[in-house]
Amino acid sequence: MVPYTPTREEILAIVPHYTDLGVPKRGGFKIFYPATRSGGSREALKLAYLPPFLDVDERYRVDLREEIKKRVEREIDLLGKATSPYIVKLGLLRPTPISIQGHEFIAYSEELLDGPDLQSLIQSGSRPSEDELLLAAECLVKAVKDLWFNLGTVHRDIKPLNVIKTDIVDRPFVLLDLGIAFSIYETALTVDPSQRFPPPGTTRYLAPEMLRPDFRDSLDYRSDLYTIGVTLYEYACGQHPLARDRDDMLLTLSRIAKEIPKPIEVHRADLSIKITTIINQLLKKLPALRGNIKTIEQALEL
Amino acid sequence: MKLFAQHGYAEGNKIIEGLTAEFIDGVVFSPKDIKPDRLLERIQEVQDASSRAEVFFDPQIYAAMITNDPRAKIGNLEEYNIYFSPLTKNRLEIEKNVISVLRKTVTFETELGVSTILAPNILISRSFDSREATISNTFIRLAKDVTAKVNEDLPVYATLAVSRDTLTNPLELQEFLNDITSVDSPPDGFYLIVSARNSETRLDIFNSDVIAGWLLLNYTLKVNGFKVINGYSDILTPFLGAVGGDAGSTGWWSNLRTFSMERFLPTLTGGRQPIPRYLCNSLLNRIRFDEYQSWKEFVPEIRNGIETDNFYEDEPERSKEVLQSWEAIKTLCNSLVRRNVTSSLRLCEDAIENAVEYYSRIQSTGLRPDPKSNDEHLEPLNEGIRSFRRIAEL
Repeated sequence: MVPYTPTREEILAIVPHYTDLGVPKRGGFKIFYPATRSGGSREALKLAYLPPFLDVDERYRVDLREEIKKRVEREIDLLGKATSPYIVKLGLLRPTPISIQGHEFIAYSEELLDGPDLQSLIQSGSRPSEDELLLAAECLVKAVKDLWFNLGTVHRDIKPLNVIKTDIVDRPFVLLDLGIAFSIYETALTVDPSQRFPPPGTTRYLAPEMLRPDFRDSLDYRSDLYTIGVTLYEYACGQHPLARDRDDMLLTLSRIAKEIPKPIEVHRADLSIKITTIINQLLKKLPALRGNIKTIEQALEL
Repeated sequence: MKLFAQHGYAEGNKIIEGLTAEFIDGVVFSPKDIKPDRLLERIQEVQDASSRAEVFFDPQIYAAMITNDPRAKIGNLEEYNIYFSPLTKNRLEIEKNVISVLRKTVTFETELGVSTILAPNILISRSFDSREATISNTFIRLAKDVTAKVNEDLPVYATLAVSRDTLTNPLELQEFLNDITSVDSPPDGFYLIVSARNSETRLDIFNSDVIAGWLLLNYTLKVNGFKVINGYSDILTPFLGAVGGDAGSTGWWSNLRTFSMERFLPTLTGGRQPIPRYLCNSLLNRIRFDEYQSWKEFVPEIRNGIETDNFYEDEPERSKEVLQSWEAIKTLCNSLVRRNVTSSLRLCEDAIENAVEYYSRIQSTGLRPDPKSNDEHLEPLNEGIRSFRRIAEL
């Protein structure tokens, strides 16, 4: 989606206060660089690509430039307001429009968290202990609680790639990327879901209710509870509960809508009934069957 | 799992006897059937009879919606005008009117000295996608906050009264469950009532969709941390307990075993007393006492083997029939309800399978059950559990 990845030199020449940039990573409409500021502190420098004026996605008649600008604004606003230690924090660079080689971006920064994301850990074949899974569940549930109860927001993109395992004692797992967060208090920024298929989010990590054209009418944090369940399942056993690598998008969506995943204990017989019950429950199709923050906190003995 | 007496007309001494024998754990009072001044005395008598007795008061606001029907027969409810008055959907679409009904009712209940408030609600008579459902949701959403303003220490259970027809649309039910489990200020529990068109029509409730829906209501509310008390649940009580229900209730008339709004309309049937029945745990049904006496000679397993069987050596006194029901249901709860839902459901399914076998043995002797005593409840019960398992992914 991003047509051009600026070089480190190009960025350093234009964005003040940074002395060094690492290897960039691309995802969706963003590029991020591990960066060092002039005082020595480390940050994640992010560039959100802005397509040209009037670059309209003809499928949906949407002005992509405006949508991306507003999404970045909302993400920054939410990150500034979030108080949970389990949600990534904003860096020092406030949103700054930049232009490189004729391509426009918004540059901003977040704290740089040292540690692997859960996707890398899954791919490396590492499998967490029960205590680690419980800790991950606790951090993610508390992050979702802050987003929903304090900010009226559903993250909508919780997945292993967006969770960092850190060495910070009181922040062992941190949730990233509120780029497509849904706010119940503000206007929708992504395309009307009745006009778009599939709905916004990463296909493999869509909650079943997100597949309904009218999902915005009743969307709440329980969609995030589902994706926490998917993330914990995959982290625990290395396998997505429903999606398979060779499946096409439609088959994946069909599995999400209809198929009941194998209970996690099938893959991890060593786990206690406490954690397997929590993970299996979070994966229920019907949001009401996933429990709520209070019951999940009780199950986690928080 | 607890069992409560569903209070009604002609109570006599049944509730005190049931409490003393420890067949029941409390009572849900019906204002239609007791005058306000007598109610306070009766609550005291119940509490004197058993210090562990839980006392609830169902304000029966759902009956306020039919008071404009000239046939309405609301009994003593007319004397509860401190909180009970005719209501219409139009009025209740305005939130301040719902708050007013809640406040008056909760204040009245608080003064009764009950340990838990049953907040009022209307009946959702046709569909969860209706004005009634919206109003019902408003009552549920506001119950906790309004009660807290009257007495913040008392737990409050929201009433959810639905017709059996509403449960035949699983998708609408699921949407409604999504709504009521995500209210900002949730009640502490729910008092569930499922209404049949007529208390005498067994298959109105023994319908696979209705049973699946009632099970789903209990299970979902429990998963979300609510206490769940089922009104008028009678022999379904242990099945509801198997999926998480905390309590069920039943009484001595058919209209206290199965809820119907016909309870608030004149009776059309004649005055003949029904034949006493024996609640047979192994058949999961009530059979006539004479059927019990003849069938047990061929299939001894139909005898529950409990204390109240003694009442059935001859034709039982009518006042004893409900004691037998309570003890039988309590026994069935003890044998079918476990902490683990999957284990409990398996026990329920085994019980149904055994019942099929007992009926088959009875029929092989050439005996013909009376229409209410036959086995036509078993297939819907079994299918209802299967259907519930599918929806709940169990």
